[in-house]
Amino acid sequence: MGRVDFSDVKHETRAFAGVTVPVSVVPRFKRQTYPTRFLFSLKSLIDGMRLTFGYLVRPSKVVTRQYPENRATLKFPERYRASLKFKFDENGYQHCNGCGSCERACPNGSIILNTRKGEITGRNEIERYIWRMDSCVLCNACVEACAFGALEMSHEFENAVYDRRLLVYTLNRYAGPTANVLLKEENLEARAAMMTKLDTYGGPVPMNGHALPTVRALGSPRDEAKPDGKGAAS
Amino acid sequence: MTVRIRTLDELLTPPAAGSSELSTQEYFVNMGPQHPIAHGSLRLVIRLDGETVKEVIPVPGFVHRGIEKMCEKITPRQVIHLTDRLDYFSAIMNNWGVAKLVEKAAGIETNGRIETIRTIMAELQRIQSHMLWWGVLGMDLGAFTAFLYAFRDREIISELFEETIGARLTMNYVRPGGVMFDIFPDFPAKVRKLLGYLGPIMDEYDTLLSGNVILQERLRNIGVLDPKRAVALGCTGPVLRGSGVPMDLRKTAPYGRYGDVEFNVAIGTMGDCWDRYYVRMEEIRQSLRIIEQLVDGIPEGPVNVIKASARITIPEGTYYDQIETARGILGIMLVSDGKSPNPYRIHFRSPNFNNMWAVTAIAPGWRIADIISIQSSLDLVIPEIDR
Repeated sequence: MGRVDFSDVKHETRAFAGVTVPVSVVPRFKRQTYPTRFLFSLKSLIDGMRLTFGYLVRPSKVVTRQYPENRATLKFPERYRASLKFKFDENGYQHCNGCGSCERACPNGSIILNTRKGEITGRNEIERYIWRMDSCVLCNACVEACAFGALEMSHEFENAVYDRRLLVYTLNRYAGPTANVLLKEENLEARAAMMTKLDTYGGPVPMNGHALPTVRALGSPRDEAKPDGKGAAS
Repeated sequence: MTVRIRTLDELLTPPAAGSSELSTQEYFVNMGPQHPIAHGSLRLVIRLDGETVKEVIPVPGFVHRGIEKMCEKITPRQVIHLTDRLDYFSAIMNNWGVAKLVEKAAGIETNGRIETIRTIMAELQRIQSHMLWWGVLGMDLGAFTAFLYAFRDREIISELFEETIGARLTMNYVRPGGVMFDIFPDFPAKVRKLLGYLGPIMDEYDTLLSGNVILQERLRNIGVLDPKRAVALGCTGPVLRGSGVPMDLRKTAPYGRYGDVEFNVAIGTMGDCWDRYYVRMEEIRQSLRIIEQLVDGIPEGPVNVIKASARITIPEGTYYDQIETARGILGIMLVSDGKSPNPYRIHFRSPNFNNMWAVTAIAPGWRIADIISIQSSLDLVIPEIDR
């Protein structure tokens, strides 16, 4: 017991704003004279040190996690939101039909959706799904708004890059119709004809050959040493 | 009563030396915009006579992002994600404030399950916020150990949020007409385990920091804010309750499930830094009590009464609603023109903005080192002041 008795919380009721409010009045200090006060003060310091020393000699209480050493065993909760990605079925087909509800739900225009008229199917289909991670706040509004389950939040959280233009992704792997439409077509070649292959950085959005003073352009000769040539974002 | 408005330039003109023998030439010290006690970017211009504080002039505005203006271009569902970024330690309460206002304005009825989940989450967030404040107060006053202890326990709540909501800080969880995700079936068990852990931990906190004589001497009788002044300045939350005013929206205007549960409003007697400190410690215990009563009987039902993509059109008019966040009353005023789904104007009455001005009332007369205690006990989150 020190200068303040922490169990001395007074439970009372007060009339306030027309209602009776049950209150807990917090403890205050007791009057103490010199020698007692000195001893209590000393004891309070020793108590605190004993507590921290207790943790020092109990390694079982250590809660530190050794990131990045534990990268291999790092587990994230199912709903963890780190980056946006497309859901693909077992054939690698997407479910997005380009309805644009995610684009409308996005609070800051991080999603830009280009659609096209399919040459073979004659329907509206997705041409390029641009996701700007540099402005995205990972609010999950797009996933929530998607009625077709085409989007999901992935757990890939190590997204640091040297140039923010590298944070502009193309999410769809091909421009073309949804899985439903593709699976109706039995002929594999006809299926492939409906789809135009895309990569993460392609078209007008990413830095293709645009060098910065400190960052060399993607696809420049020095990049060939790297297997993918796409930096950290692939 | 006349109010004399002084500009910052006028305030920063050094006055002549004081009349007392001991007074010296007054001078100014800038505390901030980058200073550990600001917990953000807040500039405090302090007029000093020796070490005695004569006047404190807060200069906010370094983190202004124009959130209120941004809200005019987006729908109420999208406004929610910006309220995360007002006071990021009260994200769920801020979300709930907007959701509550929109539900009231558009006439959306929620069910018991939604309200229970919201209440539990808001109280968890309050505990988390107060724990962070506790650790940071210790760090400000030179006790770094407290910071680590607070983060160790805060992590458990953060992980609970991470698992249920998918984010740890800017959660965007409560939305008009429900919550974004349903809780997992094992959520109540996890919360009960958390409650069992946090109860004894609070005593550990008392041993480690509250009982420490150095902390007590730096908080006791320092920075007394009397209740009349606190009310006049518009202070809310633990700052006002520390002065002994039992103002708590959870009691005076119950929302959510607060009307069904028993809890006490923690108040202080004197209004010094110690009262503001211990009011928050007591609030953690009361929050544990609230969660304990709710977690065992979460009603069944859907967690959303309207679809996420539903277009909510608010009828023409001006609406106001307020909510008790971890730092006080967040008031939201919304003006709707009745045609567009976007609000015509949104204004946030942020608790921190009013609490910040308390420092001008309580700091003069104290030493410069006491400013640290006073600022820490006010528990300001600067991005909410600047919005």
